[in-house]
Amino acid sequence: MDRQRRLFSLTSLLLLLLVIVSACGNSQNQGNAKQPAGGNGMIETLNGGAFGGGSNPQVNYNPFSATALIPINAGYVYEPLMVEDTYSCHVNPWLATDYKWQDAKTLVFTLRDGVKWNDGQAFSADDVVFTMNLIHKFPALDTNGLWTSLNTVTAQGNQVTLKFKTPSVAMFEKVIKQDIVSKHVWEKVSDPVKYTDEKPIGTGPFQVESFNQEQLVLKRNPSYWQADKIKVAHLVFSKEEVNQVEDLKLVRGGYDWNAIFMPDIQKAYVARDPNNNHYWFPAGGEISLGMNLTKAPYNDPEFRHAMAYAINRDQISQKAEFGYVKSASQSGLSVPGQESFLPSNMPNKGIFTYDQKQALDILTKAGYKKDSSGKILGKDGKPINITFLVQNGWTDWIQAAQIVQSNLSAMGFTVNVQTPSPDIVESQRAAANYDMIFSVHGGSCSMYENYEYLDSRSLPTVNYIHYKNPAADKLRDQLQQAVTPDEQKKVVAQLAQLSYEQFPDVPLWYGANWFEFSTRKAVGWPDSNNPYCKPADTLLMLTHLRQNTNSQPGK
Amino acid sequence: MRYFIRRFLFFLLTLWTAVTLNFIIPRLEPGDPAEDIVRRLAGQNKPIDPAQLHAIRLMLGIPGGNIFQQYIDYLNLLFHGQFGVSYTYFPYPVTTLIGQSIMWTVGLVLTTNIIGFIAGNLLGAFAAWKRNSIFDSFVSVGLSFVGTLPYMWIALVLLFIFAFQLQLLPMGGGFSETSTRQMSWGYTLDIMQHALLPALSILITGPIGWIMGMRNNMVQTLREDYTRLAIAKGLKPWKVALLYSARNAILPNVTGFAMSLGGIMGGVVLVESIFNYPGMGRLFFEAVGNRDYPLMQTILLFTIVGMLLANLLADFVVGLLDPRVRKGKN
Repeated sequence: MDRQRRLFSLTSLLLLLLVIVSACGNSQNQGNAKQPAGGNGMIETLNGGAFGGGSNPQVNYNPFSATALIPINAGYVYEPLMVEDTYSCHVNPWLATDYKWQDAKTLVFTLRDGVKWNDGQAFSADDVVFTMNLIHKFPALDTNGLWTSLNTVTAQGNQVTLKFKTPSVAMFEKVIKQDIVSKHVWEKVSDPVKYTDEKPIGTGPFQVESFNQEQLVLKRNPSYWQADKIKVAHLVFSKEEVNQVEDLKLVRGGYDWNAIFMPDIQKAYVARDPNNNHYWFPAGGEISLGMNLTKAPYNDPEFRHAMAYAINRDQISQKAEFGYVKSASQSGLSVPGQESFLPSNMPNKGIFTYDQKQALDILTKAGYKKDSSGKILGKDGKPINITFLVQNGWTDWIQAAQIVQSNLSAMGFTVNVQTPSPDIVESQRAAANYDMIFSVHGGSCSMYENYEYLDSRSLPTVNYIHYKNPAADKLRDQLQQAVTPDEQKKVVAQLAQLSYEQFPDVPLWYGANWFEFSTRKAVGWPDSNNPYCKPADTLLMLTHLRQNTNSQPGK
Repeated sequence: MRYFIRRFLFFLLTLWTAVTLNFIIPRLEPGDPAEDIVRRLAGQNKPIDPAQLHAIRLMLGIPGGNIFQQYIDYLNLLFHGQFGVSYTYFPYPVTTLIGQSIMWTVGLVLTTNIIGFIAGNLLGAFAAWKRNSIFDSFVSVGLSFVGTLPYMWIALVLLFIFAFQLQLLPMGGGFSETSTRQMSWGYTLDIMQHALLPALSILITGPIGWIMGMRNNMVQTLREDYTRLAIAKGLKPWKVALLYSARNAILPNVTGFAMSLGGIMGGVVLVESIFNYPGMGRLFFEAVGNRDYPLMQTILLFTIVGMLLANLLADFVVGLLDPRVRKGKN
């Protein structure tokens, strides 16, 4: 959803105007004051920002379609089997009340009784089996790639059994987030890939009320299986506008929540209504400094070890990212959300501090020398010239690359930053034709996926550093077999340790999940005081929202 | 007659070239439409899921294979009026989208173009007639300064003042978010309100070209012998200005106007993007950004055909108006 980098300078211009206008506002509120407890009344409407579907949106609620108005996995109408809080990775029972791995190839779900589709028909195990078989028959619908390892899906009573061809415990996150559709509607659809599903029949908390190409209105589903937890009568979404206009609308109080990038948010947004306007930008994937491991000196772990100390992460956060982001852990995990997976003895949660002296010591010890002009020489005796590729138009990454450039130049390297188009960067890194690069990985709750970039069998677009280590491959295979959370944690800790000691790449900062919210109408939003989920986990968020009974007037 | 046949044959040749270039150029651009969709969904700060990418490739059914075969297929489909399914708005055909957008663009751009053209030519003629007056220096110096302001900036300032600060006009869109879109006076008024800011922002810089062109041409024609004759005959000044001098000065502007009408198809990308106006320009901008080849190609094709038709029409009109063009070669 962060689509706002391109026209960035114009946004800043407008926001400068805004900042001048709002300069009188005080900024004592840091955007994370504790939210009051809410009342039990019904909130009439909440405006949740933009719906999907582009500038000329067309009716399409197909839950498998990447071009639908309601994004895949949004959960408003169609629901998944279980819902994971992607902040701490805790799994909540949903359409399924429980699950069990009988062995590493057999997963059994127990389904909830009393769930109804919003046309009144009962939800049953048949619907789950039907959905799974539907995405098998039409691979274009299998957006989670379940059938790469799934073999059969069968139902018995309220139990659904998934049998996999190979040990597939790591498929769990993907299986539980699969949206389930009703058999009685979808079995009549002749081409589900092109089906636009104009009257969606789901089990979810909302159903479609109206759509007019500018606005999509969802209304509360009164027969929802946990209707007592939904205190919002209507959800309103508007057509996505250009970034500058979205910013203005947010600032003017047009949205109750949204996910947009905004420079200097404290002044531009929070200060305009400090009682109600808040933001929380929890950590997402790790933006890492990738080095081409097929080349010297980058194939030397000691060289990469030095790089972990050489980059000033705080400077990147402050200058390139408005201080919105935090330094990333060398473990490959997203801390503090996922710190329970870390090995207990890892110092400082695996976060390296900026220490160029330490970096130079490591290089000297590893046999790298300096020439008379202070340039660091490779083991072949030639000065090290680094070509850094960064995607054209990704302004914050370009700024970060310039900080890396100045940090490394100060040590005695020559760094040449180039900004080709994102497609070129993509193809160059797949072809191992670069020296240094930024790349993003991790941040999800599937640890198997988070460490996919270390697997020598992964696609070169994923294993972009071209890392080859049988130990890493083996650990990932073990994750597929580890059926209990304790076993999984043990394997993840070893992967984290490997990343911490071998420096396959050097994580620098956590990309942010943008999230602004207003407590004018509703309270109970996830924030740093109560991080019960990430802002994208809409089902969890909607079940926590309550009416704000003592709403403070805005300024 | 030969003149008209030659113009028409030339039109056919240009059309074929345009259609072929329209096929080749989007394919020279590197990148993958499916990847664009996944990247847009994931954002810059999340890795791409290869499984999702694979599913979307299957969904869009992006054609592969021999480039010549693709070219033949493309011509064949065009000939049968089939323009394909949009990638951005899958599974909707591109003609549905263009059909919806074109009304908005034609309404907005045609109206402002006509107003701009009439006002521009009148102002230009007046400036030339009163040349070296205060009005003339305002037009020549003042407007050329305004004309250098970036369009985007003017539009954003208008938006900021009228929509954000004063809250007199809506911030964008073609109609109100709560509209039921039933034909009524209220809906018409709503549409007008939404069109006002975009129209205004076009009209601030739009007529400058016509004004300057008209003024400069007319300064020339005012020195011609036939103008002097008219003055010598003692005709009323407005008759001399409009019927003798302006009538000749407007000819190049007529051709220009016909061309600009042809360009309406492409829409006004910036206006429509800033004001989130549901027209062709925004649609085209989006199609290019998303590598939506079917949509992009069809809009380009319509634009080119529009331009060529307008050009052909302008050639015919000028041929009829100006005997010198028609008879020049004989």
